[in-house]
Parts: sequence; C-alpha cells; structure tokens
Amino acid sequence: MSAVSRLRLNAFAMNCVSHIHHGQWVRPDTRQLEYASLDPWVELARLLERGRFDALFLADVVGTYDSFRGSRDTAVVEGLQIPVNDPSLLIPALAYATTDLGFAFTQSILQEQPFNFARRLSTLDHISGGRVGWNVVTSYLETAGRNLGFGGLPPHDERYERADEYLEVVYKLLEGSWEDDAVLRDVERRVYADPAKVHEIDHVGRYYDVVGPHLSEPSPQRTPVLFQAGSSERGRAFAARHAEAIFIAGRNPAGARAQIEDVRARAAQIGRDPGDILFYQGLSAIVGGTEEEARRKAAEIDAYASEDGYGAHMAGNLGIDLSALDFDAPIGELQTNGSQGLLQGLIEAAPDKTWRFGDLMRFVVDLRVVGTPEQVADQLQTWVDAGVNGLNLMYHTTPGSFADFVDGVVPVLQERGLVQREYAPGTLREKLRGDGAGARLNERHPAAGHRRARAAAVAR
Amino acid sequence: MSRQILVNAFDMNTPTHLVSGTWRDPSSRAADYKTLRYWTELAQLLERGLFDGLFIADVLGVYDVYGGTPDAALRGAVQVPVNDPLLLVPAMAHVTEHLGFGVTVSTGFEHPYPFARRISTLDHLTEGRIGWNIVTGYLNSGARNIGLDAQVAHDTRYDHADEYLDVLYKLWEASWEDDAVVRDVDRGVYVDPAKVHPIEHEGRWFRVPGIHLSEPSPQRTPLLYQAGASRRGKEFAAAHAEAVFLGAPTNAILEAQVAGLRAQAVAAGRDAYDIKVFSGYTVIVAETEREARAKHERYRALVDPEGALTLWSGWLGFDLSPYDLDDPLELVPNDAIQSTAETYGGGDWRVGDLVDRLSFGAGGPVAVGTPAQVADQIQAWLADSDADGLNLSHVVTPASYADFAELVVPELQRRGVYKTAYEPGTLRGKLFGRGPRLPATHRGASFRRSGVGAAA
Repeated sequence: MSAVSRLRLNAFAMNCVSHIHHGQWVRPDTRQLEYASLDPWVELARLLERGRFDALFLADVVGTYDSFRGSRDTAVVEGLQIPVNDPSLLIPALAYATTDLGFAFTQSILQEQPFNFARRLSTLDHISGGRVGWNVVTSYLETAGRNLGFGGLPPHDERYERADEYLEVVYKLLEGSWEDDAVLRDVERRVYADPAKVHEIDHVGRYYDVVGPHLSEPSPQRTPVLFQAGSSERGRAFAARHAEAIFIAGRNPAGARAQIEDVRARAAQIGRDPGDILFYQGLSAIVGGTEEEARRKAAEIDAYASEDGYGAHMAGNLGIDLSALDFDAPIGELQTNGSQGLLQGLIEAAPDKTWRFGDLMRFVVDLRVVGTPEQVADQLQTWVDAGVNGLNLMYHTTPGSFADFVDGVVPVLQERGLVQREYAPGTLREKLRGDGAGARLNERHPAAGHRRARAAAVAR
Repeated sequence: MSRQILVNAFDMNTPTHLVSGTWRDPSSRAADYKTLRYWTELAQLLERGLFDGLFIADVLGVYDVYGGTPDAALRGAVQVPVNDPLLLVPAMAHVTEHLGFGVTVSTGFEHPYPFARRISTLDHLTEGRIGWNIVTGYLNSGARNIGLDAQVAHDTRYDHADEYLDVLYKLWEASWEDDAVVRDVDRGVYVDPAKVHPIEHEGRWFRVPGIHLSEPSPQRTPLLYQAGASRRGKEFAAAHAEAVFLGAPTNAILEAQVAGLRAQAVAAGRDAYDIKVFSGYTVIVAETEREARAKHERYRALVDPEGALTLWSGWLGFDLSPYDLDDPLELVPNDAIQSTAETYGGGDWRVGDLVDRLSFGAGGPVAVGTPAQVADQIQAWLADSDADGLNLSHVVTPASYADFAELVVPELQRRGVYKTAYEPGTLRGKLFGRGPRLPATHRGASFRRSGVGAAA
C-alpha cells in the first residue's frame, strides 16, 4: 500500500446536537444529546483510534442558520448547529485519552486576532504531541459577521483576502519567530532560550499589524496541518495556495474528480506539487450485515430525517430562504454571499443536468453509501479511483455510525489494503503524508517562505 | 464550625511564573509545562489535597520593560514562552471531579461573543467548575500585537471592560431562559425558540445583536475573579468580582485592602462577604524547622536576579536595568500597575530588595517552618486581615503544592479550619453554599429577564 493511495479516514462531527443529518437526535440509539459532556467524546475518540481513523474533524460556526422562513426558529427547534459549543476545547481531553488519533478543528478567521489564535494553535500542538489540524474557514453566516463586530458578513472575496493576510501573520508567528535552536534549556548557564534566536515579526498589513514575537516556543509541527473546504472560484485559489487537505462534497465521483483535478492544477501553477494536497470526500455510510439490513437501516434513517432541518441548513449555507422557493424550479444563476462553492460543485457533477432547488435540499442526504461492508468498500473504491485520498465520514447517529464503520467496513478495507492497519509514527502531518518528509510543512508551501534561513535549514 | 480556609494553587502555562530561576531545580517540572501530563498530575495532586481550585495566570505579551527588550525574559523563561491557559482545563477536568479552575483572560483581546462561548463550553465540560479571572491587559507589548499602538488609558480600559462584562452577562444570563432547552424527543423539539432571545446589545464598543451560541451551563456566568487593586480596579471588583486576589507585603496593608473591598461591595448593594478574598502566599514547609530553613536557602540560591528584576520592571512599568541593586527604589506613576507602586511606597526600599526579599510570590508573605509553625502563621495572617484564603504560589512546582498537601493540610484539618471532603456542586456552589448561579444582588443578575435564572 503506497502512502499516497491509501484512503485516510476522518470522522466528521461538531460540538452540537445535530450536525449534518437532521432529525436523528431523537433516536434512542444516538448520544447526540450528550454533546456538552466530555465522556461521549472521549469514548468516540477511543473508538476511532481502535478503527485506525486518522483524525476527528470538528466543524464549527459562530452564527445561526436564520435564512429559512426568515428566522432561526427552525435551526433552534432542530438543534441544528445551535446551541454550538467551542470545538477546540474538546481536543485537550481527547488528546489525553488517545495516543495517535489526530484532531482537526474549525475556526473562522473572523473570530479573533491572529496573534492570539496562533498561540492557541501552538498550545494544542504542544499538548497533543503534534496531532492537530486547523480547518481554515472564512464564515458564511451573516449573523457571524454581525455578532463579531463586522456589521455584517464581509463580501465573499474580501473574506478570502483577509484570510490570506491572516495566514501570512500566522505563518510568520509559527514558522519565522523562533528558530529551531532558540530553546536551550541550559540549566548550568541559567538560559532557557537564546534571545538572539527569537524574532519579532513586524507585520504591517491591510487588516493586521502584529509586532511579535510569537509567545509559544516551537511545537512539533509548528504550523498544524491545514485543512480547507472552500470550493468556490476564490476559495479554490485560496485552497490551492494554503491547504494540505481539502474537504470536498462531490455530488458523485465525476464531480469529485473535476474539483480535485482543478485544484491540483492550480496548486501546480503556483509551484506546489499536485500531490501536496489530500482530498477528503464527505460521505455517510449505512452499513448492515446483509444488504437487506442496510436498506432497512436506511429506511429508518429516512423516516427520522427532518426535511425542515435539511432545508434550513442549506438555506443558511447559501444565505437564501429556500422555503420560499419552488423546489421544482431550476437553480439557474443564483447569486449568494454565502457558500458559493456548493453551486459550483453541483454543476461539475453533471454539467448538462438541470439542477433544481429540490436537489439542493437533498444534496447532503444523497452523499451516502449503503450496503454490506463489502458493498460499501466497493463504492468507496469508485471514489478512490476518482482521485479521492480520504473520507470525511458524516454520522447519522453517534457513535453508532462510526462504530458500524469501524467494526464492519474498516476490516474489509484493511483486507483490501485500502486503509492503514497501524498508525505510522510521528505527528499528524507525518502520519497523513507517509512520505518521510518530516513534521513540518514542506518547502513548496508558502509558509516556508517566512522561515528564517537558519530555521529552514534545520527543518529540511 | 470555624471559618474554613480556602486555598487556590497559582500557576501559569510557562516555565517561570513568579519565581525566576527555580525551573532549574532538579525536582522542578516547570519546563514540562507544555505536556498534558504535568497538568493532569498537578490537578490530581491538588484534588488529593482538597484545594478549592487551580488558578492559571496569563499574559498576552512579553516582559520587555527591563532593558527595553524581551531578551532577559527569554533567557530566564520569565512568562515567555507562554501557552494558552484555557486549553489545559478540559484534560484536567477529565481526571478530576471537584477541583475548580480559574483561567485568566483579558477583556482586551477577544471579542466577547466567541469568548462567551468558550467559557460556556468550559462550564459545560467541567460540569460547573470554571472560573474566569478578569484582567484588562497590562503589557503594552500585548496591545501592539492586536493593532493597538499602546493600551488604552487605565480608566478607559475599565470602562471598556464594564461594557465587555455587560455583553457577557446578557449572553450568559439573559439569552436563554431556564426552560428553553426542552429536548422533547417525541415532538422533535430540542429548544423552544420562544425562549431564546437576541440580546440586541448596542454600546460604545460593541454591537452584538444575536443570541448566545451555547445553551445554559451549570453556572451560566463562571465564578468571577479579579485582581486589580487600583482605585478603578477596586470599583470594578466591587461590582463584578466574587473572588479577589490581593498581594500585600504586610498584614496591615492586606487588612486595609480587605476592609476597603468589603465596604465597596456593600456600597454596591452586595454583602461584605459576597467576595472571597484570596491572599497571595508562599509556603516552604518540612517536617523539622531545620529542614525547612535549609530548603528555603536552597530555593533562594536558585533565584535568578535578572529574571526577578525583569518581572518587577514589568509589574512596575519601569525599567530597573540601569540601576544598581543598592539604589533606592524609584516609584514612577504608570498606568500599568499603579497599585503595586502604591503598595510598596513609603519604605526605604533598595532595588536589590526586590530580589533578596521579594522574589517569592511576587513579594507576598512567605511562611517557613514545620507544619505547625506554618499553620500558626497562616491562621494569624487570615484572622488579622479578614481574608478568606490563600492564593498559594509555588517556588518549585509541583513540590511546593505537594509539600502543602502532605504536611500543612492535615495540620489545618486537625485544627478544624480546613475541609475534610469536598462539598457537592459547582465551583460557585462549593465556595458560597447557595447554589450554582450568581446571587440576585450581583450586577450580572440584573440582566436576567423574568423567568431566566430563576433556578438560582
């Protein structure tokens, strides 16, 4: 099994009641109602580690879904990403309870100043022994912008400009402020760090002025593994430049392939290796011992599914009140300041098809594979054949959906040599890459340009 | 029952918190600050010793007053490198059941909207054991990193902090009614939207129209700590604080501070004892007096004078690097920490006294001796000053806390002045014995709508 071709496994979750598949929280066989306690998270992390998952991927929003029917009421009733607690604060306890599982969490660049946030990243990377990833997002909810003091959500492309500078500041702090040999811990000479090797960053930009130095000493990965999910035009350019892993929601393998090839080409154009970026397809799996059992489980899930929940979620993504629209009407040319990439993804999946609003509502419901472990493995293979490097596994019930996958599908995938049997040593980046290139970002990544000559030399 | 002595352990996510140079002691684990195990083992140790809480200091800047550069701070690891305090709490909460956690966060660095959620999340994950130490920022080197030329003037900073707190109270206390979360499985209703309210805050510094992102946590508002001792800081504490840290070199000064604070609380419509006062304190204890004195000498020999003066320069806001250790201590009014200068004014202090006499516990009292001798001193210190307990700083960690837990706690228990078991409930409930929520007389409670916070 080559390192590049293996399928990486992320569990996709959120510090809230109802993440992607709405209406399921009422079931007796899910622990979604316990999201605010540590215990179910610790047990989930241990389950994932037993299944040799690469990481737990924690989504986040800092606003409410209030486009549907012109209010947030549907979201509130459904527990749809509201209430929503902070994702990063789960990681310390989960890192304590595991040894190899990675943790990627989402934080919007609108949420706080890069100076503070860089220290949070370093802290998490230190205490997890280098097992942290950051999902860089720019927010798509209008209410996030309003509540964070921006008056409203900044325009789509401006959010990415701000994000570019935000990352530049983070890179300067994480990669350029402390040289590799700055920390001496010299007990005899009474010198903890050599001040000549700790540098101010003196960043002066359009959005941020940051003097430095970074407050944390270098952590195992320095910059955590960078995840991104933007699939709009501007988002793809951003991802091609910065991302090491991209979360995609291809409507089918052909759609995934189109997006993957497009972003890889963009990365190559700006001097990165197309293989520097791993692509994770978002999918749900409904697994049964027999095909009949799997179909019965799927029917049960469909019976619990909340149409309002899915509608409110998609409406919030787009910032458009879908409830007011005719589901049979073609989508056509839709303008949104929200998540533009969703629409582009549909078009790529079937360029000649007339997509309708009903398709949008069902978009995420249909991102699923159903069957016996062997059948699920067969379907996953078609995604791998389309160039997908990883799976972002969305749950219907938790930990049930993950347990079914760990106990049923993972052994089959292992048998087929598609997923890992044991963790590789080292940090999350080393585990994911498997290319022996070390714990730090490679030299083709734009962050490397912010290293001091000396620091870069040691990292090489 | 005698008045029970409260004890917090005082630490920071960095190699050198208050005592420079002691990270080099062979028994010190201070340099392991960036591992989870240091913190989880410390938390377990403190819980065995029935400590009320672990209080984690923080600073978002570097000590660069001394010599005008961060060099001395970096050499001595004086509060730099310094990692985030909040991110330690979930792992420590996972391995403990009762210990409280006080985390320091400045009102000047993160917008109140996401900060409110961080605290609610911690209150959920700890099941009501979180406290927040409100600071308003006091290093210019911190302000420069978030796009401010220098920190806003001292008094304005407190006005800003007052509004920051108002936004938080609205989010924590007023946005979600107590019965908003219905979790009605049959009707598929998690929350009743009629009982979740936008706060519609419009102020001088903040506009926050929305609802709080987290559902109500056990305490709603975390236990509120404060440490400012300037005039404006005391006003702020009298309005907001439920626990206050005071550092004072003499009992007379402490007594005056405590009396002033209690009077201000009463003036603000609260009970004099609605504020628990934790006095900064250091203990060096051993089975025999001779051993204790030997330990004291060993610790003193570890102190790094440059690091000690780096800390004092930061605290005083005045560069001590040009002075000889024999020079008289210059007192310069400065909006960083006016109160420190006030506290030490009037005496015949040399610069070197800051190193020789005040390098432990930021100049607070140091009790050295056998368990009985230390217990005598602690009891006298608290009885005379009317403070409620100790903010126990370490000279060497975790040895200072282990010594206290193993030697002093049993002695205090024998004297009936220290609990022998934790009370059930939240951090606030344990400290005040009247439930998890803010009392009705607290400023934060005034933001509740009728029906909200009734569970208090």
